[in-house]
Amino acid sequence: MVSSGNVLHTKLAKYSGACLECATMPRESTKLLAPFSRPVSRVAIRRVGTYKEDIASVLYESLREFDLPVRGKTVLLKPNLVGIDPVGTTNTHPAVIAAVRETFLRLGAAVVLIGDGPATERDTQAVLESMGLREFAGPLTGLFVDLNLDDVERVLLKTRASRLKELYLPKTVRGVDFLVSLPKMKTHHWAGVTLSLKNMFGVVPGGCYGWPKNILHWAGIDRAILDINAAVRPDFAIVDGIIGMEGNGPLQGTPKPCGVLVLGDDPVAVDSTCARVMGLAPERIKYLSRAATLLGHIEVGKIRQLGESIESVRTRFAVLEDFEHLIGTT
Amino acid sequence: MQSVPENLTEGDSAFIEQTCIPFLLKTQNKDGGWGFFANSDSRVEATSWALLALRESPSEDREEIRRGLDFLRSTQLADGSWPSAQGQQEGSWVTALACWALGSATASATISTPISAPISATESQRSLSQGLAWLGNERPADSRAWRRFLRRLVADKDIVAQDDAYYGWSWTPDTASWVEPTSYALLVLRRFAARVASNVFRDRLRVAESMLLDRMCPGGGWNCGNPMVYGAPGEAQIGPTVWALLALRQMPEREEIRRSLEWLENGWQSVSSPVSLALAQICLRSYGRPTSAVRDALCNAYSSEDAIRSVPGVAWSVLAMSSTQNWLNTAAPA
Repeated sequence: MVSSGNVLHTKLAKYSGACLECATMPRESTKLLAPFSRPVSRVAIRRVGTYKEDIASVLYESLREFDLPVRGKTVLLKPNLVGIDPVGTTNTHPAVIAAVRETFLRLGAAVVLIGDGPATERDTQAVLESMGLREFAGPLTGLFVDLNLDDVERVLLKTRASRLKELYLPKTVRGVDFLVSLPKMKTHHWAGVTLSLKNMFGVVPGGCYGWPKNILHWAGIDRAILDINAAVRPDFAIVDGIIGMEGNGPLQGTPKPCGVLVLGDDPVAVDSTCARVMGLAPERIKYLSRAATLLGHIEVGKIRQLGESIESVRTRFAVLEDFEHLIGTT
Repeated sequence: MQSVPENLTEGDSAFIEQTCIPFLLKTQNKDGGWGFFANSDSRVEATSWALLALRESPSEDREEIRRGLDFLRSTQLADGSWPSAQGQQEGSWVTALACWALGSATASATISTPISAPISATESQRSLSQGLAWLGNERPADSRAWRRFLRRLVADKDIVAQDDAYYGWSWTPDTASWVEPTSYALLVLRRFAARVASNVFRDRLRVAESMLLDRMCPGGGWNCGNPMVYGAPGEAQIGPTVWALLALRQMPEREEIRRSLEWLENGWQSVSSPVSLALAQICLRSYGRPTSAVRDALCNAYSSEDAIRSVPGVAWSVLAMSSTQNWLNTAAPA
């Protein structure tokens, strides 16, 4: 969604080469958050041609390799539910959401919840009904948490990448044992791409900040992505790239079949891999390059690739003119 | 049993009295407020809608209303605004809603008194005045002169098609104008402006109305406030469309209103959730459009065991069905 803050920032950056946000906001402080220290992250790419395939079986085989500590735990799946989506082009597909839920239950999780806070649509039930989530995942009562309207708690932001010092965040997100970011593979007209890190905007409650959560745009999208992810730290990421979106995403782009699921234990590494699959250089995506120092790995050498190779599934996504500088392979 | 008011069927009355009101009474918290759902923490927005709904119910003199108003007064910040969640130290769009609930209560208290016994109308009116003053003085970041100058400097209609001369109200301070908070502010200030310095608000209201008209989607209706992005027309949504249409009710002859009502009359038929259906019913009814079909759909929506029952959603259902519609009665523009 667009606010005058977005437009002004983008155009000033484009025309003057200067970034208003950079000039007025503090640099992120690595002193407040320890740098990411894991030696190597793991990312798997699996081919899935359509939403009618047995996605749960593919996921079960893949997730077993990661040996995730979810037995007896409460897991929250955070899909990307942008708005009303009867044809399944903008939201994480319900077949994927249901398959991931089934897989975590099969892996021994005690409870697997689904939760999101759509950015512009207040009527979350209308969003869920438009995409048919009930038909795929069963009754919504007790299963789905509307993160826009959940109870909240104050969270001090450790990174201070943006001007935000605190956010009120959903207690459900803060209270679960294992958080999974479950986005759709899309381009984004302000951030370049929206994947597992950008997907975390959805945990910021509309009930506190409105629809859209415009405070994040004014704080600087790239920097706010860092702050939110440092605050909630998703444990795992699974990206629905079976049919993605290119061009004027995240809402008005063009469906782009890519035929993959990309999953891993480091959201930065997963997003970097997705960017490479999309034909984009992750180092040129602002928030990803910043996240690389704090939240995860971006370098190929620090990502152990499982399943398909990037080259074998690469599908170039069209981007808006303002983001053509992202095109490239690294 | 109470007699059924004109234009309210037996079924509608039963729906309000047997489904909606009991839910609202049952979900009130000990602190007097309501959360968005049963057993959730009290919030100003949910409390405001619940209060407006209970005021519209046939038995309006309830102890629950007094406790709810107490909650609102106790959560008001020193600057007159209300925060969207307890603990926050900054006001937000919910200030308009709290003013609406307080204003409706105090207006009623001056006419009939059953509710007012323990309520100090003076205290509520003071709270309301402070809230309205904050709302009237609150300026979104996109209204600031230097911001507008910079935007003109780099204006690019390829990205968004909107007139930056107009502004309204934001969700939270220091952010941009959006359709829904602007609509709430217009509805509340127009209704209660006569009680405070209404002259101060007059120009502001006109600019905000122009902003709403400017932000209408090309096909009619409104979304959050992006009618066109990178050349692609924005898709309207029921919620923002309803609030914008209600805020612009004094100009029913305008083409924008006609097209948006048309959009809404078609748009509600593709949804089955109670929240959207209740809002559609509120708006179509206020414009005198046929509503029996949407009303039936709303009652049916709650018959599902899996219907998500939120406090605002149920409150909007009461407001959609109420016979009096006092909550929407608007004083003439000052």
